[in-house]
Amino acid sequence: MSAEAGGLLGWIDARFPLSKMWRDHFAEYYAPKNFNFWYFFGSLALLVLIIQILSGIFLTMHYKPDAELAFASVEHIMRDVNWGWLIRYMHSTGASFFFIVVYLHMFRGLMYGSFKSPRELIWIFGMLIYVALMGEAFMGYLLPWGNMSYWGAQVIINLFNTIPYIGEAISEWIRGDFVISDATLNRFFALHVIAMPLALLALVVGHILALHEVGSNNPDGVEIKETKNADGIPVDSVPFHPYYTVKDIFGAIVFLAIFSVVVFFVPDMYGYFLEHANFDPANTLNTPDHIAPIWYFTPFYTVLRAIPNPFGGFVVMGLSIAVLFFLPWIDRNPIKSIRYRSFLFKVNLFIFAVTFIVLGYLGLNAVTPLYSQLALRFTELYFLFFIVLWTYSRAHGPVYWISSFVILLGGITLYDIFMNTSEYPALIWQTWSIPAVFLVITLLLPFLTNLAQEKEVPTRVTS
Amino acid sequence: MKAFAVILILLFTNAAWAAGTSTYEKGSFGKIDIDLSKRTSLQRGAKYFVNYCLSCHPAKHSRYKRVADDLGISESLTKDNIIFTEQKFGDLMTVAMKREDATKWFLGIDPPDLSTHVRAIGPQAVYEFLKTFYIDDTRPFGVNNLHLPNTAMPHVLVNLQGSQKAVFHDEADKNGKEHPVFDRFEMMHPGSLSEEEYEQVVVDIVNFLAYLSEPAQLVRKKIGIGVLFFLIVLGTLSYFLKKNYWQDVH
Repeated sequence: MSAEAGGLLGWIDARFPLSKMWRDHFAEYYAPKNFNFWYFFGSLALLVLIIQILSGIFLTMHYKPDAELAFASVEHIMRDVNWGWLIRYMHSTGASFFFIVVYLHMFRGLMYGSFKSPRELIWIFGMLIYVALMGEAFMGYLLPWGNMSYWGAQVIINLFNTIPYIGEAISEWIRGDFVISDATLNRFFALHVIAMPLALLALVVGHILALHEVGSNNPDGVEIKETKNADGIPVDSVPFHPYYTVKDIFGAIVFLAIFSVVVFFVPDMYGYFLEHANFDPANTLNTPDHIAPIWYFTPFYTVLRAIPNPFGGFVVMGLSIAVLFFLPWIDRNPIKSIRYRSFLFKVNLFIFAVTFIVLGYLGLNAVTPLYSQLALRFTELYFLFFIVLWTYSRAHGPVYWISSFVILLGGITLYDIFMNTSEYPALIWQTWSIPAVFLVITLLLPFLTNLAQEKEVPTRVTS
Repeated sequence: MKAFAVILILLFTNAAWAAGTSTYEKGSFGKIDIDLSKRTSLQRGAKYFVNYCLSCHPAKHSRYKRVADDLGISESLTKDNIIFTEQKFGDLMTVAMKREDATKWFLGIDPPDLSTHVRAIGPQAVYEFLKTFYIDDTRPFGVNNLHLPNTAMPHVLVNLQGSQKAVFHDEADKNGKEHPVFDRFEMMHPGSLSEEEYEQVVVDIVNFLAYLSEPAQLVRKKIGIGVLFFLIVLGTLSYFLKKNYWQDVH
């Protein structure tokens, strides 16, 4: 497409920047040529968003947001609507895959420092998308009006009750009633199908515009715009179209194949994507044997339960999400990519990934004395990741490392002495070793060994 | 605040009481192997279901016509053998009994709708439930159940299975407290069927209920294989397309 096309395109271009937009965002948007596997998840997140919107439109044609009719209307979709089961499974599987893709996309950002200057706003937009997505998923989960929908929403909305003085008024305001009821279902439906999708789409546009303004990061964390050819085009880049369009099409098809395995062969994913108790209709008198949120919320649910004081748990859970917004100002190390950062940075990031999975696992299970202590320890590890990341921003002397170690481990130990409510002292001290060993590795090894040694960053991308 | 406390208590205590009620080893009566390709089993299951279950348990999300079409039962056969009420071929499989009455008769429990409940509890639970009724004169219907202790449901299949007695022995738990533990069943009054025949009846019913809880199961895997085949072909083509475009990038 040339800049001065004639015919219909020329007519449009004289009135609307169609060719210009195509050039700016596809044909002449130059992306680093060295994207690897981890760079598929951005376009895949967009694909899942489209799947959710399209399948959602068709579900809305048959679903009835009414406490008396909602459960039956979902079964009507599953049985009487042509291909209704497929549309519904695409939507329910899409919800879980949205979070899988988004978590991997965020982890990519952590690995390659994609949130660092000048890309802080891309990260902030991304975090807003993530929070909106959690709201969207939470409200969508109430709509089938199954027993887990009902009691799960009950538990989560009641979290607001823990806020002193105004808590009960807030949760009443959210529900529109004293309990979860038809009023709650109706407003959640409105928010799920209109308000949140609009917000999500707007935020996605902001995310992509911010990205295209500064250009993509890459696995080497090298700014490709610093090495340009005579035409002003970055040497280590390729135009997004056709190079990344054909590559992302391949990624999308592989993704759809995996997605289809779940949709067609294990749509409930053994109770993880569609919880078994949700096949019974909402029953105000009968709680499910074990109320667990759906898997993508369980890491934060564990953080909530790790603190014995309900309001304290609520605040700490909020902090565990809020802290992510500040990542660009926590990790101030100028080296972006994990490839050139220290061995100990890799250890810290690896432990963070494991911590997130363990927190998720604990949130799926009922609390035992051991699990409640593990929940506390892995919550500590979750927050320690960010503190350690902050200390890794630049080189320090032994005094800094030792005093950091003493303050952090001392704080954890004081918590255990005065505030740990476990009735099993042996468990407290056994699990105390988890953060203790972590702090020894991440805060003492930097000056005892050369494992904090960073590598030289090349000026051009390597592969 | 109170509601939150109640929910916290529920969250933190349910594991304890769930563990305390089991008096037999789950799965010790065999494992159900759901096979929806056995159409005759599904057809027999449908017959037993409408004869023994549907008078109290509705399947109100399912239509007679859908079941008949899926199981290869003709409209006239369905009207003669499956629909006992004034209902039409395309109607939902509801129960004429008023839910308030049902609740009154069955000790305050409304018999759950079987078009979805089986998916919530799983077929194995229904299989064990139907096999573990035993005589218990302390219960209103004279029977109790190992799988679901103090169930409100009478043993509707007693004429087929016969009535059996459960033998327990006492076992001390780790706190030294004695609990009755299930030992074995003894047949007191044999029913019209042998043990093997009754087993088949239970398998047929559970098979049918597994189908009824998600009729799409009959087709979705077949369609899934076609979809995957298509995506693999498309994926292969797109891989070579990508490779071709990228060959000049170094």
